[in-house]
Amino acid sequence: MSAFVHLLLAEFRILRRSWLALFFTLIFPLIFIVIFGFLFGGIGEVDRSRMGLVISGPDGELLESVIGDAGTMEIVRYEAVEDLSTDVGERVVDFGLAWDGSTLRSFLDPSRVQENFAFQQVVEGMQDDFDLRRQGLTNPIGVEAVHVGPSDAAGWFNLVVPGILAFSILSTGLFAVSGHLTEMKERHTLDRMIVTPMRPVALLAAIASVRLVLAFVSTLITLFVAIALFDLSFDVSWPRYAVFVACSTLGTMGLGTCIALLVRRPSSASNIANALAMVMMFLAGIYFPAEFMPRFLQVLGQWLPLTHMANAMRYVTGVLDMSAARFWTTSAAFLGIAVVLFPILGRYVVRPLRR
Amino acid sequence: MTQQAVLRVTELTKHYGDVRAVDGISFSVEPATVFTLLGPNGAGKTTTLEILEGIREPDSGEIEAFGQRLRRVDRATKARMGVLLQEGNFEAHLKAKEVVALFASFFGRSVSVPEILDRVALGEKANALVKTLSGGQKQRLAVAVALVNDPELVFLDEPTTGLDPQARRNMWSIVEGLKERGKTLILTTHYMEEAQALSDWVCIMDHGKLIAEGTTRQLTADLAQNTRVEFRAESLPDVARSALEACCLGARAEDGTIVLETADLPRTMQALLEWSRKHDVPLHQLGVRQPDLEDVFLSLTGRRLRE
Amino acid sequence: MTDILLLARTHVVTALRERVTLFWFLVFPIFLLTILALIFGRIGEESEIHFDIALVNRDVGAPADGFSARIASIFVEMSTAKESGERPLFSLHAPSLDESHDDFLAREEQALRRGELAAIVVIPEGFHEAVLATAMAPIMPDPPSFEVLMSESDVASEMAAGIIEQIIVEVDREILVQMGRFDESAAIGRAQVWVGEDAADEVRYVDFLLPGVILMGFFTNGLFGVPGAILFNRDRKVLRRYWVTALPVGRYLVGFSLGHLALCVMQFVLLYLLGRFAFGARVSFARLDAALLLVLSAVTFMAFGFLIASLARTANAGMAIANVLNMPMMFLSGLFFPTGGLPTFLAVFAAVNPVTYLVEGLRTSVGVQTASTSPILLLAVPLGWIALSAAVASRRLRWDVAR
Repeated sequence: MSAFVHLLLAEFRILRRSWLALFFTLIFPLIFIVIFGFLFGGIGEVDRSRMGLVISGPDGELLESVIGDAGTMEIVRYEAVEDLSTDVGERVVDFGLAWDGSTLRSFLDPSRVQENFAFQQVVEGMQDDFDLRRQGLTNPIGVEAVHVGPSDAAGWFNLVVPGILAFSILSTGLFAVSGHLTEMKERHTLDRMIVTPMRPVALLAAIASVRLVLAFVSTLITLFVAIALFDLSFDVSWPRYAVFVACSTLGTMGLGTCIALLVRRPSSASNIANALAMVMMFLAGIYFPAEFMPRFLQVLGQWLPLTHMANAMRYVTGVLDMSAARFWTTSAAFLGIAVVLFPILGRYVVRPLRR
Repeated sequence: MTQQAVLRVTELTKHYGDVRAVDGISFSVEPATVFTLLGPNGAGKTTTLEILEGIREPDSGEIEAFGQRLRRVDRATKARMGVLLQEGNFEAHLKAKEVVALFASFFGRSVSVPEILDRVALGEKANALVKTLSGGQKQRLAVAVALVNDPELVFLDEPTTGLDPQARRNMWSIVEGLKERGKTLILTTHYMEEAQALSDWVCIMDHGKLIAEGTTRQLTADLAQNTRVEFRAESLPDVARSALEACCLGARAEDGTIVLETADLPRTMQALLEWSRKHDVPLHQLGVRQPDLEDVFLSLTGRRLRE
Repeated sequence: MTDILLLARTHVVTALRERVTLFWFLVFPIFLLTILALIFGRIGEESEIHFDIALVNRDVGAPADGFSARIASIFVEMSTAKESGERPLFSLHAPSLDESHDDFLAREEQALRRGELAAIVVIPEGFHEAVLATAMAPIMPDPPSFEVLMSESDVASEMAAGIIEQIIVEVDREILVQMGRFDESAAIGRAQVWVGEDAADEVRYVDFLLPGVILMGFFTNGLFGVPGAILFNRDRKVLRRYWVTALPVGRYLVGFSLGHLALCVMQFVLLYLLGRFAFGARVSFARLDAALLLVLSAVTFMAFGFLIASLARTANAGMAIANVLNMPMMFLSGLFFPTGGLPTFLAVFAAVNPVTYLVEGLRTSVGVQTASTSPILLLAVPLGWIALSAAVASRRLRWDVAR
């Protein structure tokens, strides 16, 4: 028991002093959140955009009323269409609308590829509305969108944050083995330990314990920063949160074990883990919705552990719903991976480095 | 015929804060000789060499190389030198032949790469990546690189440290071969046998200072004239020990070996045999030897070369 | 000259022979280009998008050719397989004959919360009558609505709801025309104008993306490759072996830089070929300004790499600095996302970031963007960084390990 405690303290000290590892697990996700939070806030947010307007025909007041109903864009009036066009091109305004009495023309900057879709939608809505109201008509049929999500979601970013938490857990678990442990093997630190009566399980337990604490601390910090900076709200189920963070941290350590066993040289393990983590991050629907990916990539995504981790984290933070059965199965699966692979990892620790 | 010294160093100094790594040393190196700097680790040998190789600035002192006075070793001088560093690496993903070609290009020379590799017995490894070479092979590659410009003066910094005995013997024969071809060699080592086997001139360094120089024979003759008698004994009772002192000039114990110094071998041997019989101490591995550089160093500093 | 060329060759060869470098410098940008082109290239192209939706028509008493039925049949039609083999827009879930509407709704709502369903359309009781009354009223009141249950935090759901709203707009128009209330001859004209000099058509996403990914490749190569190579070689005393020969540091630098630029050329060629032949990019770099900007970018990022190498004491510290800077510099630059509306401290970063200017400059030069920054500034900021990096590196970059 004493060996475990000493190893535990040693692992804590090593972690505290290896600011590199700390940076990646604590600061990295925060940088992510901050940057993405502010970036995503700006895409296609029509209600905060600037629209240029030229009215040189009748029904001007009606048009203004239609525009007012369409959204809260800031309206900039122009006298001449040429000026409006130039200003759209120079991004003084985000898009433009011109009414000459017979045609309602929209002006868009072709290079704003990611935002034009939203602008076009608003413009089309205004064109439809104006067309009807000019003839004294309104729509006979209306559509009312009713949100039935589990919480007061603020949109896509609510989905992104748990995804980032999942990624943070993935790196913690993965690099604990394919990074920390493999480095110990490469530097023969492990060799020195295994010639003593130290039992591998004590070392593994120490490493796992430290990583568990790290996973909790880092995800909690990231979560609270996201809430504080972006005024998000989450409906966290703490018991399930605790269970899943624990199971998935251990499970991803198991994944790290697989990598460590497959590489020829221990030092390659961390590079491969890094590459895999990056690829998974894209394919698991963390940066952008999986629905946008082609079918075969979506299918591939379903096989990635990170995808399931992200979904589970969304569930425990109350962003997305999931059947209880699915949640517990997922958690059990991660725990199962850990249980199966830890003894194998123990043998890896003891096996001397091949020269 | 007076031969101009290839290299002359005067009052060379290098400090690191309070530490005087090189403390006002002076020596000169004659052409086609093997000049050795001998001393324990930390004596300042490598620092001295690094200054002469042009990768470290001296704090003061004069360097005269190939008859030119220099404040600092310059490019033209480097072109006439070859350097085997104590520590260094090659790009792991280059092939041996690529390494040689690369270094040759630094001197603006085109060389026959296969020939150079053959000379260090790496001909078969021409296409092997550096990372696949063994320690000894990498060292040989380093030698090849050091000689790629057919230099007149070659620096070898601890050339056999960390090598197995076979590799060490190979290195010694390379050194001897170079000397036969008329090259001047400056060697540093902390191995006494190496200094004795290879050198024409030895400078002993300790704590940054030059404490003795000369041929091996001169050094041992001047400073340690006495014959050594050695035998192995684990521990001696005090009575026996003091009796032992009486039959020689001095006795000391080292790692289970008793070493006696004597100027009169026959008398000491007789007294020793008597003593052995009288105190019932067997004389295991009894041996007689001439003083060596180890003894020289010991008599100068009271310490061993190899700590 | 041979020494410089051989040093350049060494740099290229060691990069290509080392798997790690090969991955980050070649494989990763290719992967990124592929993923982003596949994904973002499809926004607005709804041909392959597909949604699972559910429909409940509670207006059971309405006539079979009434409005409620009409709405329902539209959704049914849009979820039927086409002769052309094209995938229908929707997959429709409807209650089975013996299932009550309430049970069905409860079940589907749960599926919606779990992200298994994009939207639920609920046509309320009495809908047909309400619509009829509205459509016939002399002064039209606010229209009756049917509900679309969706989830705001699910992008697919948002898209589905948006599409449904658009469908209804068209239906509305048809109804009004059929009832003779809407005079088509008095309808407004509609036109969309693409602003800009060469703008003949909307810019395709892959053409917008390709310059960005190329720049990103140069960027990671410079940010990681340069400090990595120099610092690791310095710490392992590979460089020291060079310094004991007659090779001056300057020539080493020239050879190294040449090798680095050769690697950038390789990246460019591979990414361009991939973009052109796999994703149909039409953008052309065969113009003087584009070529100059490519060279300027490669040099700027290389210089930046030297700057990092000067500021780091060990190789690990250098890699750490590179990692810290990597994400902010890449994302706060307009490379992937527009940077309007950032809070001050991030906007300042974007304004000092050389990537911002190089991206805008390159995209403008190949005609996928109109520059909103003056050309002088577009060149001055990167050049300024090159000058700064050169100044710092020449004073601080240590070429040999200290004692």
